[in-house]
Amino acid sequence: MSDPEFFKVKYKLTDQISREGGMTMALANERAGREMKALEGKSREAVAATIDALEAMAKARTAPMDAVYDLATQVLDIAGLYDQRLLCEATYALCELTDRLRSQNRVDWKAISVHVDALKLIWAAPPRAHAGMKSLVEGLWAIVEHMKDPDAA
Amino acid sequence: MSGFALSPDVRMNLERSVVLLVDDNAQALDVLASMFRGFGVHRQVKSSSAADAQQVVKSRELDLIVIDTAMPGMDGYDFVRWLRTEAPEGTRFTPVILLTGHAARATVEKSRDCGANFVISKPFTPPVLLQRIYWVAKDERQFVSCESYVGPDRRFKNLGPPAGKRGRRKDDLSGKVGAAKEPNMFQDEIDMLLKPSRVPL
Repeated sequence: MSDPEFFKVKYKLTDQISREGGMTMALANERAGREMKALEGKSREAVAATIDALEAMAKARTAPMDAVYDLATQVLDIAGLYDQRLLCEATYALCELTDRLRSQNRVDWKAISVHVDALKLIWAAPPRAHAGMKSLVEGLWAIVEHMKDPDAA
Repeated sequence: MSGFALSPDVRMNLERSVVLLVDDNAQALDVLASMFRGFGVHRQVKSSSAADAQQVVKSRELDLIVIDTAMPGMDGYDFVRWLRTEAPEGTRFTPVILLTGHAARATVEKSRDCGANFVISKPFTPPVLLQRIYWVAKDERQFVSCESYVGPDRRFKNLGPPAGKRGRRKDDLSGKVGAAKEPNMFQDEIDMLLKPSRVPL
């Protein structure tokens, strides 16, 4: 095996960010917030549609775990850009649950349904209600933790 | 490099930067693009797949790549590994920020070994992304190239104050580490440290 090589790379980005002009971090963040706000309506529609699709999957109980996992990551994809912490926390629990299930070749639609119901509740609740819903997410994680790999014991 | 939040008064100019944004989720890609518009990036290239992003990399120079990890077919990790080992010379070392939602078990090692500059876990806010862009631009880590890895040195050097001297901060550690007092960690334990985990709200 050959020895590792170490070398310095000069990024053009390093010079670019220091050029005259540009804007302050505060202004850049404010502008980014404004730009994102303009897309918030469409983003909410996309998240709602994905949660609905998850609900349909949980009812039909036929989808492979990979499909449930992929849909859950789509919720994270969009909600994660809007810093929707509680929804992301609940979705992350669903991702972890389905990831564990698929790696163990198992299926547990009851546990998945509980997660999807929680997503719907959180999504429908106004942000001011989120503080009171943390125990709901804690409950989801309790289910996930319960889903231990039988081979690991 | 500082681990602290940047001052809101720090100026940054991204007007001339060419940024490639990659995400298979069209809505997420639009939102990401809007974030970069707000940051003052006029020259954006959007790709909806890693395969499409490969073509972009082959055809033009880029200053930054921001890519989602979870995509069908070639995922973000495989794309970065391809970039670091097989892309044209001029673009091979383009800085990369990976955006990750959930870290699936099968991808923990890929995340560590793909050669990205930084990984950002969702959810995140524009200030977090902007700060990482600044960190990337100021990143002084050397690149490492060996059989199993090509990318920025994964060790962030923090040499600390010299042995026997106190640092300015109360939690400064001495640069002199000394002999190990405990057995080395197993690779599984190290992998778990790298896996993004749940944070209490």
